[in-house]
Amino acid sequence: MKKHKILMAAIAFAVLAGAWIYGGNYPEQGDQPQAADTAAQTAEQKEVQGNAEFIRVAAMQEGAEQEAPEQEGAVLPAPDETAEPPLAELQSADVDDGSFTVSLTVRCDTILGNMNMLNKEKHELVPSDGVILEATTVTAYEGESVFNVLQRTMKQAKIHMAFRNTPVYNSAYIEAINNLYEFDVGELSGWLYCVNEWYPSYGCSNCQLKPGDAIEWNYTCDLGRDLGQFWVNGWQVDEYE
Amino acid sequence: MNMNKDAFAGFHPVVNMMYFTVVVVFSMFFTHPACLGASLVCAVAYSVYLNGRKAVRFTLVFMLPMLMATAMLNPLFNHEGSTILAYLPDGNPLTLESMLYGVAAATMLVTVISWFSCLNAVMTTDKFVYLFGRIAPALSLMLAMALRFVPRFKVQLKVIADAQKCVGRNASDGNLLQKARHGIRMLSIMVTWALENAIETADSMKSRGYGLPGRTAFSIYRFDKRDRTALAFILACATYVAAGAVTGGLYFRYFPTINGVWGTPYAISIFISHLALGAVPVILNFREDLVWKSIALKA
Repeated sequence: MKKHKILMAAIAFAVLAGAWIYGGNYPEQGDQPQAADTAAQTAEQKEVQGNAEFIRVAAMQEGAEQEAPEQEGAVLPAPDETAEPPLAELQSADVDDGSFTVSLTVRCDTILGNMNMLNKEKHELVPSDGVILEATTVTAYEGESVFNVLQRTMKQAKIHMAFRNTPVYNSAYIEAINNLYEFDVGELSGWLYCVNEWYPSYGCSNCQLKPGDAIEWNYTCDLGRDLGQFWVNGWQVDEYE
Repeated sequence: MNMNKDAFAGFHPVVNMMYFTVVVVFSMFFTHPACLGASLVCAVAYSVYLNGRKAVRFTLVFMLPMLMATAMLNPLFNHEGSTILAYLPDGNPLTLESMLYGVAAATMLVTVISWFSCLNAVMTTDKFVYLFGRIAPALSLMLAMALRFVPRFKVQLKVIADAQKCVGRNASDGNLLQKARHGIRMLSIMVTWALENAIETADSMKSRGYGLPGRTAFSIYRFDKRDRTALAFILACATYVAAGAVTGGLYFRYFPTINGVWGTPYAISIFISHLALGAVPVILNFREDLVWKSIALKA
């Protein structure tokens, strides 16, 4: 009798555990690039390139970063810009293993005007200029999404980032970057991303990257309105009527 | 051995009730590790003093695994914290702060359960009815009955199971279908008994005029000098600790980085008074034991 009970409990537990794991709590794509079928890409190669190509472009434009947040697109390696040697090198790497470069920025400027709504314990997390990660050139591999690049870069830069998988949208949802969580600055706050200054209406795991894309993660305190983004019933509009 | 097993239970019910209220509330609200540790030690020590070997076994077999499981499960779901130790298989960070917060939350859980096991042993039904019988008669009777509910049902279920076993209808006899039928029969008997018992209790209390105005209640409790001293001590400690918590003397945060008040003399004074408050019954009991022993030696 007792044996049966234990067995039943074990089976029930196993079924629940299986359902939990199958239920999408593990991402299909971790920090490995999706284009793993490229034979040339061994795990070592990825590691080496990932670190070597993590170059802070921002260092090149010292002093200019304060007044020119809109010009961040300018640091991107344009295809015809072969004048700068490091960028040219990165470009040539594209041909070999399907890797290319994109730029990534993480900012939380909107919190600066709403500090009174943020928990006092978290004030120290907000940089005085609102920049968590300056415009940085990072490597992406063919078929990778915005989420893959963000996750890898945050890991390398040792910045905290928490997400959860939402099977309904088949995408990861970014809960927090740098310990600044969604809903930390009021109930309309959270992280939004844009690619080339366009805010997609789908999750960051579904946004495939092209060479030279400029990814920006911005914290919003007002459902995107403080970033100049307006939605009505899920459709983006220029302005409310 | 000591005649009066628990000296603290011999105090006036007001003292007992006040002590448990304060101690449980403090355990539930203070997250400072010093307070959690002091509460845990006092609660476990008192429950072991009250229930002896049973409490030790319960602590080791049930509480310790629960504490460890809660502490380990928290970082799987909570990824907050600035100190990243490693990355979980799903890609989220494993942080030092979330692990320590898990330990703190688990300690709190175990502490409160231990306090309630003490409360169950000390605050008997008659004390409950004595304290609240005049203010809220229906509520206190219900509370007293509800608190006895589980232990009483366990005893009655054993009686029913034994009787059924005698006629060959034990829940472990026969094939699966028969087992289920025997089990359901036992459940049916149990429910019938419970309903009948509840009606009988209600009728009995009503026929005795329970809750009517002007009804006096017999009690053997006397509020004497000893109770006054104990109550004053408990209230003084509680006020000091509560005032310390309000003025920020027990400040402690787990996120995003661990930070809090530790070494200031003011903080230490609060920790000591918190510990003194929690240790009241254990100290009283030990003193009583010593006195009893010295008298026994003289005789």
